[in-house]
Amino acid sequence: MTRSMFRRPLFAVLTWVALAVVLVWTLWPIVLMIFTSFKPGNEIFAIPPTLTPKHWTLDNYTSVFTESSMPHALVNSIVVGLLVAAATLIFCFSAGYALARFKFKGARSVALFILVGQLVPLTVLLLPLYQMVNKLQLLDTTIGLAFVHLTITVPLVTWMIRNQIAAIPISLEEAAEIDGGSRFDAVSYVTLPIAAPGLAAAGMFAFLQSWHEFLFASVFATSESARTAPVALTEFATEYHVDWGSTMAASVVLTVPVVIVFIALQRYLIGGLTSGAVKG
Amino acid sequence: MSTAQTVRRADRPGSRPAGRPGTGATRRGIALMLPAAILMAVLTVVPVIAVLDRALSDTEAFGRLFDAPNFGRVMLNTLVWTLVSVAGALLIGYAAALLLRSPFLRLTGVWRGLFMIPWIIPGVVGATVWRWSLSSDYGLVNHWLVQSGLIEQPIAWLSNPDVVLYAVALIQIWTTAPFVMLMVSAALTGIPAERYEAARLDGASGWQTFAYIVLPAIRSTTWIAVLTLVTWALNSFTIIWVMTSGGPAGASTILPIQLYQAFQRGDQSMVSAIAVLQLAICAVFVAIYARAMRSDLEELS
Repeated sequence: MTRSMFRRPLFAVLTWVALAVVLVWTLWPIVLMIFTSFKPGNEIFAIPPTLTPKHWTLDNYTSVFTESSMPHALVNSIVVGLLVAAATLIFCFSAGYALARFKFKGARSVALFILVGQLVPLTVLLLPLYQMVNKLQLLDTTIGLAFVHLTITVPLVTWMIRNQIAAIPISLEEAAEIDGGSRFDAVSYVTLPIAAPGLAAAGMFAFLQSWHEFLFASVFATSESARTAPVALTEFATEYHVDWGSTMAASVVLTVPVVIVFIALQRYLIGGLTSGAVKG
Repeated sequence: MSTAQTVRRADRPGSRPAGRPGTGATRRGIALMLPAAILMAVLTVVPVIAVLDRALSDTEAFGRLFDAPNFGRVMLNTLVWTLVSVAGALLIGYAAALLLRSPFLRLTGVWRGLFMIPWIIPGVVGATVWRWSLSSDYGLVNHWLVQSGLIEQPIAWLSNPDVVLYAVALIQIWTTAPFVMLMVSAALTGIPAERYEAARLDGASGWQTFAYIVLPAIRSTTWIAVLTLVTWALNSFTIIWVMTSGGPAGASTILPIQLYQAFQRGDQSMVSAIAVLQLAICAVFVAIYARAMRSDLEELS
């Protein structure tokens, strides 16, 4: 028996053991969340606790959708997210296009300025932005929250779009111009259609960032009329009692769309996500 | 894909020859960048100036901040929280990235996708679910640990002042480790196969291959990952706030939490003082970050 014969299976086993450990560490809270959301109330506070429900029930979901502020909050989250995505795309397409296609003095400084902007702690911005939004009379509105969410989305999406456009050969635009179109026509008929899937992914990314955001949401949209889902999720807890069943059901509702979008757009999002997103 | 690479412009398809200053290209470029630049100025620069102005025109808040009995505690908490969560995320992220390179593994894409989940779910959800699982009486973590005989008594993870900071740091690790895994994975994929081959022919051991080929290749990536993690840790709010609100008795209060509490009390000068302190700490890291980026740029071009 030589060493190499002995080593291969051993390493294979070790690899799979390590994989199992990492998977348990990563996924078990998610599994717990899903199972708890289907448990009836008496099982949730059972001692000893169990992972899987003995009796599966949809009660928690029914109470989230009929007896809580969650449905309204989900609508608010979607409205804020769409506003953020639309505004982000408009600002960032213009800036990203300029960064990809024009070289000019100061371009790099402006680029770095937009990039470093994302390193400013959100808590530092909390008070002055609060006063600004208050002056604009946009406190407790979806528009006000969407406005401050642009702080988080614009720097990153600018880079995402810049890279997408840089990957499109400029000769295509030039060909369109030679055929008698203006630069604007070239961009709208040639560049935009090619960049469309990437832009959709960038918009989705902006939407997700807004969907996740908690700090600003808990300050700029406190009343039920504008409150978003992450803040509403914390409402299931009062000082002395937490309705864990509903909380877990609401958590699942909040998570499912994110996971679906992520699986669909994995290829596009990973590049943007690894470029140093600052999560609060 | 690091942002450093995105800044680089030379030798890319589709970059136009530089417009001379004053030409149409320059004017157009500036005009197109202006909306986003003005927006970011309004959302970040103006507020930062406002905070600095307020804090420096009213310095008594600094006195109150530094003389407060809990100030040392908050700073120490912030330090411990940052060190523990960054070190843990690096360790697990690296391990997962190396694991995914294993030749014995099938379905690597599926595992990578699953490892990403803690990072892509909303922070509020992660914090809430962990809070439930760490509960002293009904929590499965304690139940299983007691069952397996690892601990005698259930641990009050979130209400014991000596444990709570490490418990919340664990959740920060859980959330951020996938980011490290992605960064390191991307860097490892970039190592050409010939280098491994050459090392093998030279008779390098596994450790030598790791130390002389893998490590140098992922050094700059690691650097950027560390800085990003530190920035996240220093500015982290959601996880701690949702799990403990900084308690018990301030045992898990870090600077952003303290700032938020001052904001809730309406103590605006205190908010500004803490914000300036946060800015000062952050500025150090932004400077390092910018330098790392610059050397990265030079390395690439």
